[in-house]
Amino acid sequence: MHNILLKEMKLSASILSYLFILFGLMFLIPGYPILCGAFFVALGIFQGFQTAREANDIVFSALLPIAKEDVVKGRYLFVCLIEGCALILMALAVILRMTVFSRSSVYADNALMNANLFALGAACVIFALFNRIFVGGFFRTAYKLGRPFVLFIIAAFLAIAVAETLHHVPGLEWLNAFGTDYFAKQLILFLIGVIIFLGTTILSCRNACKHFEQIDL
Amino acid sequence: MIAEVRNLVKRYPSFELSEVSFCLDSGRITGFIGRNGAGKTTTIKAMLNLIHLDGGTVSFFGKPLAGNEAEIKKLIGYSTGTVSWYPRKKIRDIVDIVKRFYETWDEEIYRRYLDLFGLDETKTPLELSEGMKVKLNLLLALSHRCKVLILDEPTSGLDPFSRNEILEIFSKLKKEGVSVFFSTHIISDIEKCADDIVYISKGKIGAAMPLEDFVHQYSREGESLEDTMLRLEGGAFHA
Repeated sequence: MHNILLKEMKLSASILSYLFILFGLMFLIPGYPILCGAFFVALGIFQGFQTAREANDIVFSALLPIAKEDVVKGRYLFVCLIEGCALILMALAVILRMTVFSRSSVYADNALMNANLFALGAACVIFALFNRIFVGGFFRTAYKLGRPFVLFIIAAFLAIAVAETLHHVPGLEWLNAFGTDYFAKQLILFLIGVIIFLGTTILSCRNACKHFEQIDL
Repeated sequence: MIAEVRNLVKRYPSFELSEVSFCLDSGRITGFIGRNGAGKTTTIKAMLNLIHLDGGTVSFFGKPLAGNEAEIKKLIGYSTGTVSWYPRKKIRDIVDIVKRFYETWDEEIYRRYLDLFGLDETKTPLELSEGMKVKLNLLLALSHRCKVLILDEPTSGLDPFSRNEILEIFSKLKKEGVSVFFSTHIISDIEKCADDIVYISKGKIGAAMPLEDFVHQYSREGESLEDTMLRLEGGAFHA
């Protein structure tokens, strides 16, 4: 699996997949729908899928001395690696906003979603949607990218809209709590987000492996 | 027997690969011949598990491909005509990744063929002519000491000198015990170096036997192999 991941990183990936990880730092932007950062990270990965398809990457990989399902697993692993790196940047932004910048007025007066543990959990859900809808959808044919990406865009922006709205619902204001207020409650939501990400990704990968076995390259 | 293809069936809306069966023996060159659209590439893809079969089995070294794919593919070299992988990556970078997958990768063989083919590692596949792309694919297939070499139209697009060079390489590999299976529609390539012939027409195997037996059985007095093939393709097999 190490070699196939290396192949994904060095041959299949687009430089944009790496550069767009930096959009994780959008969690530092005040007065901005910060979950769009997760969407842009996914956009960078999508660009990598396009580059790989133009390079006949899937057939090349399937010809390597690996099981056919490892082609799929390698791609999922790479996607998770990029998402993991972005989540680390987002987590750093959350830590900064919850500690060093906790008294900063631009963050304190933020009408939109705050970068807290709930936001981090919501970013995990955006990535889960990407892995399920786009990556899983791609491996139904191993060449069609448009439809699954459009479906992901719709799902992602609906999820962003819901996440941005929730803290305005009476009784749910704590979702946007700043600093370390409601830390325990938000931590639970973050962990739920992580579980959704892991569970969805694993299930999606399993399904994609099954589909990939059935398609003709 | 080094490979066995048995009763392969693959159905497409407008084409069917029907009960395709043949064997490959160690240290022999087998030419896989048929006109465009006869099912050569589909058969080769099936041998490499690139397509989902509706029936039949493929086995190498006595083991079914299904379930032993990774192990078997380490012993197979594959090259397909002029398809280029990663057109904008340097050959050196592509090779650097590919060789990690093969414990048997031989740097000396790689360097030797790199020189023989006149390939420049710093170039990208995009910068190569069609013929050089064929050579690059062949280079990747040869450098890991494979036991079976499966090639889809390896001589297409090559000049006569390069074609001859590649056919000579086949003969050399045969002496080393490597089994070579190559598809072509250039009949003179078969005449030059093949020991066995597998003839496919409209998705069905017309003949799979030693070339000598084929000529003995199907050729008429004074008829060249090309004339025989043209006559057979004209309807004798499926009449």
